[in-house]
Amino acid sequence: MVSLSRYIRHIRQTGVKEWWRMMQYIGDAKSGRMVGADAFGNRYFENLNGEEEVPGRHRWVDYSQHDFNASQIPSEWHSWLTHIRKDPPTEDPVVKNVTPPWKGRYLENMTGTRGSYRSYNTAGPTITAWEPKVAQRS
Amino acid sequence: MSLAKVAAFSSGRAALAARSAGCLGLRRIHVSRPSNFASTSSASAEEPQQSLPPTRIAMAGSNQLSLETPQNKAEYVLSTLDKVANWARQGSMWPMTFGLACCAVEMMHMAAARYDQDRLGVVFRASPRQSDIMIVAGTLTNKMAPALRKVYDQMPEPRWVISMGSCANGGGYYHYSYSVVRGCDRIVPVDIYVPGCPPTAEALLYGMLQLQRKMRRNRKSTLWYRK
Repeated sequence: MVSLSRYIRHIRQTGVKEWWRMMQYIGDAKSGRMVGADAFGNRYFENLNGEEEVPGRHRWVDYSQHDFNASQIPSEWHSWLTHIRKDPPTEDPVVKNVTPPWKGRYLENMTGTRGSYRSYNTAGPTITAWEPKVAQRS
Repeated sequence: MSLAKVAAFSSGRAALAARSAGCLGLRRIHVSRPSNFASTSSASAEEPQQSLPPTRIAMAGSNQLSLETPQNKAEYVLSTLDKVANWARQGSMWPMTFGLACCAVEMMHMAAARYDQDRLGVVFRASPRQSDIMIVAGTLTNKMAPALRKVYDQMPEPRWVISMGSCANGGGYYHYSYSVVRGCDRIVPVDIYVPGCPPTAEALLYGMLQLQRKMRRNRKSTLWYRK
């Protein structure tokens, strides 16, 4: 539960530097076991103690990028974070042993950049600007 | 020539059939090395330049990146002011509801308790004069199109449009109907297209987050200064 003593306890557990970062990005002083990190440097945490974290807030991610969004989480970690899988991908035997060979690199949502996805399209533009043409008078 | 092509094709098919017959019932579960996407160490060895995020790499050499990197003190001040304006705008997006069909139900779900748009400062505003986003949710018919444009014209600048669902994106199921506009981008300029039929409330909320991303890119005063 949220309380002042919990807040101060978590600052003491994580350290001031980590607390400052958390207040900038998460907005709460959280403390827990670091479960792992993905290839992009996002760190994943878990705290199963019901006295310290409310159930539902017990798994969280600390993004590595300043301009973060949820698509920066790779799919294996997403499945852990949203309780699709119980164990994190570093411990889950299925994820560790079976990796499909056709699996591509994970890429975050590139919308709004030059790397954004554009589907193959042969249709012309739906909007065309009006070009006034004056007919020749005889 | 076409005969030869057909022959080659059929022989390829035969070979494929033979191969599949060879491993009849012996379809192995592919077991490979542990996923190298999950851990830090292998990926850093694979890709040494991990410092820049992929979105930043994709923006290299673009006008937008040049706008976002100030080159002198005046630009620094102006782009900071831009950021303040963006922060204010993205924190209180008031969408004008233009619910036309079943998508509107999902739009209501976005406002309801589970997805709770209010935590992002998104509040539905029934008046176009006091809203800055229009969510076109549903099939836009020819009869409705002038009304849509009128409502859009009544909205104050800056304004954004979210096209929600396949009907609003491009006609969708009713694309070949005689009375349906094939996409609301023929009537109003659209910022975010949310795919789906209908999109889930989660998808629409993600669209709102993408619109926030788009708002954050705005550098209007820096652009004015450079001109």
